[in-house]
Amino acid sequence: MLRSLDILLLIFLLVTAIGVVRTKDLLGASIIFSAYSLIMAIVWQQLSAPDLALTEAAVGAGVTTVLFLIAIGRTVRREDE
Amino acid sequence: MSPAEILNKLTVNFNYVVAMTLFIIGLYTIISKPNLIKKFMGLNIMETSVFLFVVSSGAVMGGKAPIVGEGVSPGTVFVNPIPQALILTGIVVAMSTTALALALIIKLYEQCGTLNADKLKEIK
Amino acid sequence: MKKGVIIFALFLLWVLLVAAVIALPPMGSSETPAYTHVVPRYLEKEVEEGGANNIVTGIILNYRGYDTMGEVTVIFTALICVLAVLGRENIKRHTSKVELSSVEKSVIVKSVVRLLAPFIILFALYIILHGAESPGGGFQGGAILGASVIVFTLTFGFTLGMKKFPLKYRTILESAGPLSFFISGVVALFCGLNFLTYMLPCINHAYQDLVRHLLLLIIEIGIGIGGGTVIGSIFFAMEKVEKE
Repeated sequence: MLRSLDILLLIFLLVTAIGVVRTKDLLGASIIFSAYSLIMAIVWQQLSAPDLALTEAAVGAGVTTVLFLIAIGRTVRREDE
Repeated sequence: MSPAEILNKLTVNFNYVVAMTLFIIGLYTIISKPNLIKKFMGLNIMETSVFLFVVSSGAVMGGKAPIVGEGVSPGTVFVNPIPQALILTGIVVAMSTTALALALIIKLYEQCGTLNADKLKEIK
Repeated sequence: MKKGVIIFALFLLWVLLVAAVIALPPMGSSETPAYTHVVPRYLEKEVEEGGANNIVTGIILNYRGYDTMGEVTVIFTALICVLAVLGRENIKRHTSKVELSSVEKSVIVKSVVRLLAPFIILFALYIILHGAESPGGGFQGGAILGASVIVFTLTFGFTLGMKKFPLKYRTILESAGPLSFFISGVVALFCGLNFLTYMLPCINHAYQDLVRHLLLLIIEIGIGIGGGTVIGSIFFAMEKVEKE
């Protein structure tokens, strides 16, 4: 049943979002954010939106994560500094 | 409504529930975390939650992706294409606003030496 | 204490939002108001009016053409703002942290990227050019194009990346998005029609469909190349650090 796959993916989405919030190391948080975006891309595909899946996989998981990584590399890595 | 009906509705509308929860998670990050980069990760989660909500509202059970042409029989049910068209541009614009925000954050760190919003408040 | 108040307030908001979800129509039904008013017309008439088999592309470029023009301008403006804050990179003065670090890059990463980079760019071009027929279009292909620039530069070093994607070409190509809308939109003005009309009755009937496809293709290529270059330039502007 595809609906159960949907629900599983959405629960993963929640778990990764909480992971982003709770990780103190910003580098780790941005990598979890990349995983979040990839799961989001699969959710778009499940919702019959292939255009969005393509864009999210390239922009969310690729470009945004790289921009976060660059910003972390040029500033601080720990959250509390 | 009886509790069973409410539970059934929440299962059917599970995408919406997840979108609302993600929105709250993002809002919590923005409010309670002092680090500016973390705040923008929260903002990105909020953005994607809104995207999820809008696209889910256009989904149709058993609907195909809105692409017509050869090989598609006339009676096929398509999903709603309008939310997808709206969100497609939204994703790219969200990326470019994040890029601008991160550029400002990098410059801010060069000037002030901290990214903690509470410490930044004290710098005159 | 403060955290407790925040969590309590957000919990109240969450309860409110979920209560609103209960009142929403069931997801996946084809009888929701959103699905019964405008959508049937789009689904039936789009191929005829918009000229694209991919209905999402048709809506983006045709029914919501002005909106998309605004979005493309927003992306271009974001690049201008990033450059205003951080400044352009210069091949003589700048390098990157990745290049300065002493960690040797893995052979696996290098060979895989060398092998895959041409195919990634080819895939991006396929997606841009096939936007009217299959999933894809300017925004999607542009994002992949920008990602390929980033992956190349991260693997083979900042200096080589700047050499392969020279500043003088990027300066021109960045404006391709808004410019392509301008070029395609202005054509209709010569026929006495509104800006951004693709179906031109003033030319020979046999060529109308061809001209419409051409105008749509110009916009798709413009958004794709422009978007990809903007992403690449934002990356270069953020990645650069001063040489010692």
